[in-house]
Amino acid sequence: MSVSVCSEIDALPGVHRIENCSKEDMTALAMEMTHAVYPHDEVYGEFCTVETYVDCPPDKAFEYLADVYTLQEWTYSLRDFTLPDETGMVIATDKIGGQTKIFTRVESNEQAGTVDFHCSWDQGDELWMIYLMRVVPAQLVFKKPGCVILWTNCRHPYYLNNPFPEKGPPGRKVWVGDMWPFFYAGHAIELENLKQILEYRHRSELPMTLGGPQ
Amino acid sequence: MTVISLVGAASYMPERIVTNEFFLAEGEREGDVPLMFRGVKQRHHVGPSETAVEMIRRASGKLADQLNLNLARDVDVLLTNVTVPDMPFMGCGASLANALGLKPKAVFDLHNGGCVSFVVMLDLVRSLMTTHGYQSALLCNVQNAGGRLFSQGENRVRKQARIPGDGCGVGYVVANAESPVRSIIVRNYGEYADDMSIVRDDGSCWWEPSERAGYVDFNETKIAVITNRANRIVPDVLKAACQQAEVPVDRVGTLITNQPNRLFLRNWREALQLPASRHVQTFERHGNLFGAALPICLEEAVSTGQLKPKDWLLLGGFSHAGDYAAAAVVHWRAGENVAA
Repeated sequence: MSVSVCSEIDALPGVHRIENCSKEDMTALAMEMTHAVYPHDEVYGEFCTVETYVDCPPDKAFEYLADVYTLQEWTYSLRDFTLPDETGMVIATDKIGGQTKIFTRVESNEQAGTVDFHCSWDQGDELWMIYLMRVVPAQLVFKKPGCVILWTNCRHPYYLNNPFPEKGPPGRKVWVGDMWPFFYAGHAIELENLKQILEYRHRSELPMTLGGPQ
Repeated sequence: MTVISLVGAASYMPERIVTNEFFLAEGEREGDVPLMFRGVKQRHHVGPSETAVEMIRRASGKLADQLNLNLARDVDVLLTNVTVPDMPFMGCGASLANALGLKPKAVFDLHNGGCVSFVVMLDLVRSLMTTHGYQSALLCNVQNAGGRLFSQGENRVRKQARIPGDGCGVGYVVANAESPVRSIIVRNYGEYADDMSIVRDDGSCWWEPSERAGYVDFNETKIAVITNRANRIVPDVLKAACQQAEVPVDRVGTLITNQPNRLFLRNWREALQLPASRHVQTFERHGNLFGAALPICLEEAVSTGQLKPKDWLLLGGFSHAGDYAAAAVVHWRAGENVAA
């Protein structure tokens, strides 16, 4: 395997480097791509990223997020959590779907500040609703105390079609993927919940974990 | 505030049509021109002896025929805005009054407002009609930087030289409600004033002796912030004018803005969610007409039938690097009763 820059890459369609695209052409491209407004679908069609600044130290924010049980606090509708099974998976009710069960496992990495929620409605065999979150020290990016929280979702094909309709509670009319156009709003609201709660817990010197079902 | 009406517009385009080859340096081909500076197929340039006064005289003659005006009697207020004035110091209003045989009660040569000076003049006229009781006004915009500045030897091959195009547009305003102006908003942003200047490559000032050609220079390192600024302040002021007029944006039948480049036109129209068919512009064949774009495109909108009586007309844009943004809503020839 070569460790040098591969020269053929400049011939690849869609690759713009100073070697194959002049600064003037780069500026032109940037102008072309810069609009005053963007249709919602173009921005949030395939990916949904929300982000915010939180006045709470990054290690405390990470600790809070990495505890799966705090989802009871900062999410809009995840409640009634069970104790974890041997794989660390917990089951809760997502009240936005009535009696819908939501299966969740958290994979976090303190050094990277990442907290990934692997979830799924109705079944725990294939956790396909992945919520990717990252805590970044605000000192690095804003030169101030606190942290920045980034949160991305990708529109998995199952959002479009429920592959396991038989596993949902009988008679349920809603499907989580039908709410994708509201994901920006829903997640922005939940992120604001998270911000307010983290700042409150930090300010009041409360513990940063719940540690179990409440 | 007195209700004023914008009742008509007319243009004069210099005879000389300049195609893109004119701007190519020796050995340069059209394909070498950076993408950002393409989009204009041709533009008009004023000739060496073509004055702003003469351009306005021609456009005004057309307007007088169109509206059946007797200019000598029917112009209380005369306003001009000229990109490259015939003479520094004086303004051309007085000379113009003489050339047209006018007897105006007030003359103003505006030196600010650039590409939205037509709206700035409209605002001023409304104030004057309210305070002084004037009944009629002739608003004159001349863009002549193409022929006067960008056809000069060293300027001709500058990449931005192909964008400006010359032309004159005039508009006629009366103090009644036959085609009422329903809102006018003019905003100024002093903090953006110094991002555009008239420079020479030897650093000399325009009044100093030099062998170098003067040209309009935008601070290129600020292209991203100026783009962002224009994307923000123009849709903002256009929407504010609609709101003040109590007209939902989607009811705007014709949008006319200044036309600095293809992308701003696209972005403003997208921001208002209006289809391209309602945004009247002549960028491809006239280039950037600076302040003259508004009255010239208004004439175009009327003559092509795009703008129909009782349509809501939205005019606006920004000047220079963002020092002014302005917009106005006109209920075009709606023929509302003055008392109403």
